[in-house]
Amino acid sequence: MATDTSTLEPLPIPEPDRPAYRAKPKDWVRENLFSGPVNSIVTIVGALVIAFLAYRALRFLFVTARWEAVHVNLTNYMVGGFPRDELWRLWAAVYLLTLLGGMRWGVSVHRTRPTDGRAEASWRAPLRRFWPFIVFALVVVGLSASPVTAAALLGVGMTAFIGRVAGIRVPPRGVRWVTILFILGCVAAFEVMVAFGGVPYPDWRGLMLTLFLSLGGILLSFPLGVLLALGRRSTFPAIRALSVAYIELIRGVPLITLLFMAFLVLGFFLPPGTQTPSLVARALIAFVLFTAAYVAEVVRGGLQAVPNEQVEAAQALGLSPVKITALIVLPQALRAVIPAMVGQFISLFKDTSLAASIGLAELLRVAEQINGQPRFTGHGLQAETLGFAAFVFWVGAYWMSKTSQRLEKRLGVGER
Amino acid sequence: MSETGTSAGPMIVCERVGKWFGDFQALKTVDLEVDRQEVVVVMGPSGSGKSTLIRCINRLEKHDAGRIVVDGIEMSDDLRNIQEIRREVGMVFQQFNLFPHLTVLENVTLAPRQVRHKPKREAEEIAMLQLERVQIPEQALKYPGQLSGGQQQRVAIARALAMQPKVMLFDEPTSALDPEMIKEVLDAMLELARSGMTMIVVTHEMGFAREVAGRMVFMDDGQVVEIGTPEHFFTNPREERTKKFLSQIL
Repeated sequence: MATDTSTLEPLPIPEPDRPAYRAKPKDWVRENLFSGPVNSIVTIVGALVIAFLAYRALRFLFVTARWEAVHVNLTNYMVGGFPRDELWRLWAAVYLLTLLGGMRWGVSVHRTRPTDGRAEASWRAPLRRFWPFIVFALVVVGLSASPVTAAALLGVGMTAFIGRVAGIRVPPRGVRWVTILFILGCVAAFEVMVAFGGVPYPDWRGLMLTLFLSLGGILLSFPLGVLLALGRRSTFPAIRALSVAYIELIRGVPLITLLFMAFLVLGFFLPPGTQTPSLVARALIAFVLFTAAYVAEVVRGGLQAVPNEQVEAAQALGLSPVKITALIVLPQALRAVIPAMVGQFISLFKDTSLAASIGLAELLRVAEQINGQPRFTGHGLQAETLGFAAFVFWVGAYWMSKTSQRLEKRLGVGER
Repeated sequence: MSETGTSAGPMIVCERVGKWFGDFQALKTVDLEVDRQEVVVVMGPSGSGKSTLIRCINRLEKHDAGRIVVDGIEMSDDLRNIQEIRREVGMVFQQFNLFPHLTVLENVTLAPRQVRHKPKREAEEIAMLQLERVQIPEQALKYPGQLSGGQQQRVAIARALAMQPKVMLFDEPTSALDPEMIKEVLDAMLELARSGMTMIVVTHEMGFAREVAGRMVFMDDGQVVEIGTPEHFFTNPREERTKKFLSQIL
């Protein structure tokens, strides 16, 4: 284990060698699928069922399905009734975000441990990491059958790559600046959408609204949840009681109730004279309040997993209680709960479809509305319209799940 | 009356220190003075209060009776006063207690940067110096989980030393180690003792005690039973309980 001390980056955790045994395909089939009469029957029956289902699914996808309902409404799926004259704003925002996101991704190669780094360096890495998005882009291009859309989406992919190449060239010292740039870029992208005659977020619809509610929900509920978890362990009885009351109250109520409350009765809680926030803002508040309670419980589990000896060691070094929490306890606690936390966020992503119940035309609602269009009403196209919405949800949820696994590996969850 | 940094007088004074855990009295009126540059080795059967005593000296445990004075600073309930003492007192634990999410170097630079507010460069220089002192500078960029127990314990020593403490407390530093790793840790402690560090060491390592201890303290049942030079302690103990303990471990 030679060690290079010339760089200050963390060193690889050597990967244990795996046994290189691999059976020949023929042997594998015999051992696993046809090892006995019962096994053989199960294999054959199973294969028939799978083949039948696959046949029906493929036949639906490529033969019987009438995709023109989706084809015609593709833009509605993405942005609903967003003014078509202003769509350039959306593209500009997307391009800006992919460029900076690509840069941030390129920069992260520096900090990745070389075991991952080998994979990062090859062209397969982006495929492995973003293939749900690539499938998404291909499906969208296929459904739109428009060369302009294809070119625009290809441009997005290329922009991400350009950003990545630029990011890789940033020296390690500049990593912090790229992150700051990325955050500024997010603000700028938002401004591009809304400023100077743009479309304010309460008017966003379709997938864009779904993403806004999800991202906003994640970004706001996470810090609130962490604060609640810390509050629940506070030594001040008042703070502890408040946190416990909040968490237990929210967790005892269905999300849809919160949404209706935000919809109908939020006005009563606001000081008189204040303007009632927009419907989107009210939905966002409900999602944040709801998710924060669950995040708090997840984080609390992580906090309990950090042994008290860690706190003692930090105390013995003279660290203040705030620094012990921020530098020793929280980092270890959050690492330990990445899987549960991401699970919570995936739930939130899918639960944003409940916003439809208070009249917000997010992705799922758009799908339903299509069936009400004069051209498609009564044609029974739910399988197509809802199926496409489900596919979009799957892309997002699957990518989040993959990202969580990657984060776990990179941050070394389970290594003590 | 608490004067900081007085170079005269004993480094640590424990006067009639008492400690209860619920109904159980872990320490019963313990009196102990440790001079500057003195190495005191504490022995005694398990449950005798050795660990509790040294954990009271940096306030990992709150003593319920008596007074403790470290380098002229009297221990009070005031957090700032406690922090002031903890800055001067380094501690090494039985289970190392390194921070697993930080590299070795980050473990060692953490306190100098966060508590002493040293710039990163300077903190890293101090850290590398201390890592060289315990002879593992080449491990600086690894994570604790990648090191052996002996290496981890030496990092823990370097981490405590990086705060440039005036006193070092060792709570059974070799008890959790495999036999072949004990020596490397004891060597680091020997070097430290010879450099003039004031140390209180809870250990059952006889060889170490014979070599560097200025005085031996034998504790039993929450009390100091006997204090004396190693020579006196090992060859000619006065108290019956000490004799019995020694006969069991020798």
